[in-house]
This record gives sequence, structure tokens and C-alpha cells, in this order.
Amino acid sequence: MDMVLEADRLGKRYGSTWALRDCSLHLPAGRIAALVGPNGAGKSTLLHLAVGLLKPDAGTVRVFGRSPYGDTEGLADIGFVAQDTPLYRDFTAAELVVVGGKLNRRWDAALARNRLAQLGIPPDKPVGKLSGGQRAQVALALALAKQPRLLLLDEPVASLDPLARREFLQSLMGSVAESGTTVLLSSHLLADLERVCDYLIVLNASQVQLTGAVDDLVAGHRQLVGPRHDGGAIGGVAAVVRASHTDRQSTLLVRTDGPVTDPAWTVRDVSLEDIVLAYLADGSTQTSHSEWGVAA
Amino acid sequence: MIWLTWRQHRKQAFYTLLGLVALAALLVPIGLSMRNTFSDLGLTECVSQLARADVAQATRDSCEAGFHRFGNQYGSLNLVAVLLITLPALVGLFWGAPLVAREVEHGTHRFVWTQGVGRTRWALVKFGLVGAAVVLLASLYGLGMSWWVEPLTQATHEGRLGMIVFDLQGIVPIGYTLFAVALGVFAGTVWKRMLPAMGITLAGFIGVRAAVEILARPRYQPARTQTFPIEGDGPPEISRGDWILTQGVRNPDGTMIAEDTRIQCPPGGKGPDGRVCGSELGLEPGAYNWQLYQPADRFWLFQGVETGIFVALALLLLYLAVRRVRRIA
Repeated sequence: MDMVLEADRLGKRYGSTWALRDCSLHLPAGRIAALVGPNGAGKSTLLHLAVGLLKPDAGTVRVFGRSPYGDTEGLADIGFVAQDTPLYRDFTAAELVVVGGKLNRRWDAALARNRLAQLGIPPDKPVGKLSGGQRAQVALALALAKQPRLLLLDEPVASLDPLARREFLQSLMGSVAESGTTVLLSSHLLADLERVCDYLIVLNASQVQLTGAVDDLVAGHRQLVGPRHDGGAIGGVAAVVRASHTDRQSTLLVRTDGPVTDPAWTVRDVSLEDIVLAYLADGSTQTSHSEWGVAA
Repeated sequence: MIWLTWRQHRKQAFYTLLGLVALAALLVPIGLSMRNTFSDLGLTECVSQLARADVAQATRDSCEAGFHRFGNQYGSLNLVAVLLITLPALVGLFWGAPLVAREVEHGTHRFVWTQGVGRTRWALVKFGLVGAAVVLLASLYGLGMSWWVEPLTQATHEGRLGMIVFDLQGIVPIGYTLFAVALGVFAGTVWKRMLPAMGITLAGFIGVRAAVEILARPRYQPARTQTFPIEGDGPPEISRGDWILTQGVRNPDGTMIAEDTRIQCPPGGKGPDGRVCGSELGLEPGAYNWQLYQPADRFWLFQGVETGIFVALALLLLYLAVRRVRRIA
């Protein structure tokens, strides 16, 4: 399978704290991937490394087999919409389309204009005076006009109201479905992206917690409810992700490597959100306890 | 890139030009009336006559009187000149500091640096275009100011090597302005916010300018010394336009008796109680006036050296700024 984005033990440090550490992941071509994690997990750092804004401090990142930092030619294949969709606020949307044409060798101005016309965005109003949703659409149209093979979106819907979120994601899906563009979009809320993504990367506390195709992840995790569990092996369970116990009963979220046949356990399917929450809960508080100097 | 730079800065360019036009509208009439008065008082001839070695004492006296009258009328304009030396700093604040800092503050660097143009090229084109525009403006300003301050400087003994007027005219404004802009750009790449970048630019500009002016400029060339006797017929022979660094009265053995002063006594003059002139200061017979100075004809050499220093500093800062731009995310 073609890999669009490959990171190998990738790390980025700001001062003495690692914003991203030992990050290894692969993003296959043609996927719509969600990059999920709480605020400060390193999502923006990962995206900035992928688009070449940042230079890795450890490990490597490759996009279409090229190292993106300082690679101007490689930029042509990557569309990027940064957090809060920054645009020159005193430029009109029409002027921004012209700017894009001046700054890119491959540029489909007609595509951008058609999109913006369809969305009813005024061409001669400074984008600073547009609504947040409209501005996000302008930024997306500019990114798509580059005809990128990889589209990176950093928290594209975070500042939008629910209706604008829905419209934004719908129009995004509509345009990438035809072109086969690989998309990686980040959010701190899985719910925003769950409907559109088919691949998932979970980041937490600067490390990758989980990565894989959504279908595989859902198929590979189960919730087990049964008598209080003492940590022994269970047939068909590869790892216990999260366990909660009462006096008599244990509830486990597990990664499976086969059918769980032990009759003591009741096996239930889990939703993607349950899986993500289980992985996020794991490990997120360890450093905090040590930093505050209190017992975990 | 060129279109983008123009589109981003056209408003700023317009206001800068408007400011310069307003300044010209204010200064040109003053300059014209100043020049009229100068020639009406016959000072234009005075300047050419005083440049010759053999000037009659009468001419010298009448010219001094004319210069004095001119000074009384227009001397206060030297205060205006003090205000004008802040202009390069203002250009640095409003053109240099926001160039990178504004992009980063608004996050637009993430938009423009991820298009198909690399950010090194972005930086080179932007710095180059803004730098060229600034050089053009500063050249105009330097030419205009040279014309404007000429009568003022000719009317003073110090001439155009003097502290503030030297900074206003010729080619040094180009060096200062380019340096101010480069400092602003560099500060913007380090502090990445407009207000801190502007503050640092102002402080850095004043610091470097003062250091160069006070410490370096008097030493661009070895200063010359001149001595002349205490006793003499008229005012001492001091060539106009020399930049006097220090002066004083020395005893024959070379010890400095009185600094920052000069003594003139009529030949054989005695004090009220019959003492020899200056003996109350401890002057021994044969004491002489002494001064350390830079001659007036070094003006263009000094202009060249000073401009060179600031242009070199500006290029260094721009180089560092380009390097820093590659690390901002």
C-alpha cells in the first residue's frame, strides 16, 4: 500500500519539553484520517512537521517519500490549512485567489472561484469581515486550488458553530471524494470527525496512543464484563486497555487477537468513541501527578 | 511575490509618501526663505571669501556679524533638525518591525510559507523590495536635507561635521534607515510580536547610533591637532567647518591647564593688578591654546565610512533574519 505520510520515532522539542516524542505512524494513500487528541497533545506540531514548517529534533518524517522541511518543490503536493484559518484579513477572497496563483506553479483558480461562488461568498469583501465559517471555506478553497495530493487541516472546525461544521465537512468530503486526495484533519473532539474519517490517529501527551483504520479498530476491540479480574490472561485478549472494578465485577476494554470464548465474560461491541476515550484516559495523568508532586 | 508585497504594503507606502510630501510642504518654503535671507545678508560671498586664507580682518568681522544675524533669525531651526533625525527610526519601527512580526502575530506566515514559494525566497523578495523602497526614500530625504540645512551649517563655526547636522544630510540617512529597517525585521523574527519588536528596534537603534556617533565617528581618521598662542592681535585663525573634538590651554611642558576653553589676550596685556595674562589660572609663560579636530574636508570620507558601517550592520541583520525565518513555525 502506498504511504503518503510516514513518521519514524519523530520528535520535536520546545526548550526542554517534548511536544512530540517517539511518534511513529503511517498514513496510507486515499484515506480520510482523523488526528485526535486533547489540547496540547502535539497535533499541531505533527502537522507542522508534515508540512515542513518545523524541523524535527529527532527521528524522521516523510511525505510522499520526501523530507518536507525546506523542500519547496514538495510543498506543491501538500495543501495546508492552519489553525484558526489565518488569511490576510484586509484581502478580499478574489485577491487571495490571485495571491495563490502568484505563489503556486500548479493552481486551479477556476476551481477556487467556482467553490466560493457556490458557497455564496462575496468576492469583494475583505475576508476579515466574513463569518468564521465563510473564512474557513475560503481557506479550504485556496488549499484545494493547489490540487494537493495530501490535504492537512489543523482544527478546521474548532471555531465554527455546529451548522457551519457540518457544512464545512460536507463540502470537504464532496471535493476530495472525486480527486482521491488523502486528508489528515485534526480535532480535539472525535465527534466532529467520526462521521467523515476512515482512519484514526490518537495522540496524547506528545505520543501516539493508537493508529489504524476505523473498521479494524472497531473490530479489534471489545468490552468484557465479568467477575472481578486479577490481571491473569484471558483467551483471545491481546491487551487490556482500560479496566474498572467494583467489589465483585470487572469491566475491561480490551484489544482482541481472536474470539473471546471464556463463558465467564460477557462480550460487547464498542463504539469508536469508547475506544478513543479508553486510550486517552490511559497515561494522561501520570506526568501531571509527578509534576504536582503528589501521589497518583 | 512582487504583487503580494505591493498589495500588502501599498497603504503603508501611500501614507509614508503622504508624510514625506507634508514634510516637504513644510520645509521647502522655510528653506527658500532661509536661502533668500542668506544671500540678502551677503553671506554667500562670505562663505567663498572665508574659504581663502588671506581674508581681510574687516571682511571677517562683517561676515561674522552677518552670520550672527542669520543665526539669530534661524538658529531655532536647529531644534527642528533634532526632530528630523528621528525619521529613520520611525521607518524602522513601522516598516521593519512588522514585516515578519505581523505575519507571525496574525498566523498568516503559516498560510504564505506553505504555498509553492519557499520561505527563504519569500524573505529575500520581501526584504529586497522593502529595502529598495527604503533606500530610494532615504536618498530623496538625504538630498533634500542637504539642501535644507546648508545655510544653517554654513552659518556656524562647526560646519556640517557637527553632531546633528552631519546625521541629517548626504548619504548617511540611507545607512541609518536601512539599518533601522533591518533591525526591525530582525527583532520581529526574534520576538515575533509587533509591539516588543518595535520597542527593541527603537532601543537598539538609539543605542547603536549613539555608540557610533560618540565612540566611533571621532576616530574614523586620526584627529589633527592645532596650536596657537594665547597672545595675539585678533580672534584666532580657526578654519570654519572643522569639527573640534577637544580643546584647552596647555603649558609649554604640555600639561592641560584648562579644558574646554580658549584664552585670547592682547599682546603684552596685563591683568588689573599687573599680572601676566592668565597667570591666575597657573599659566606659565609660553602657554598655548590647543585643539584636537577633524578637518572640514573629511566630510564625504566620514559620510562614506559611517554609511558603510550601518549598511554592513543592516546586511548582517538581514542575513540573520533570513536564517531565523527558516526556524519559525
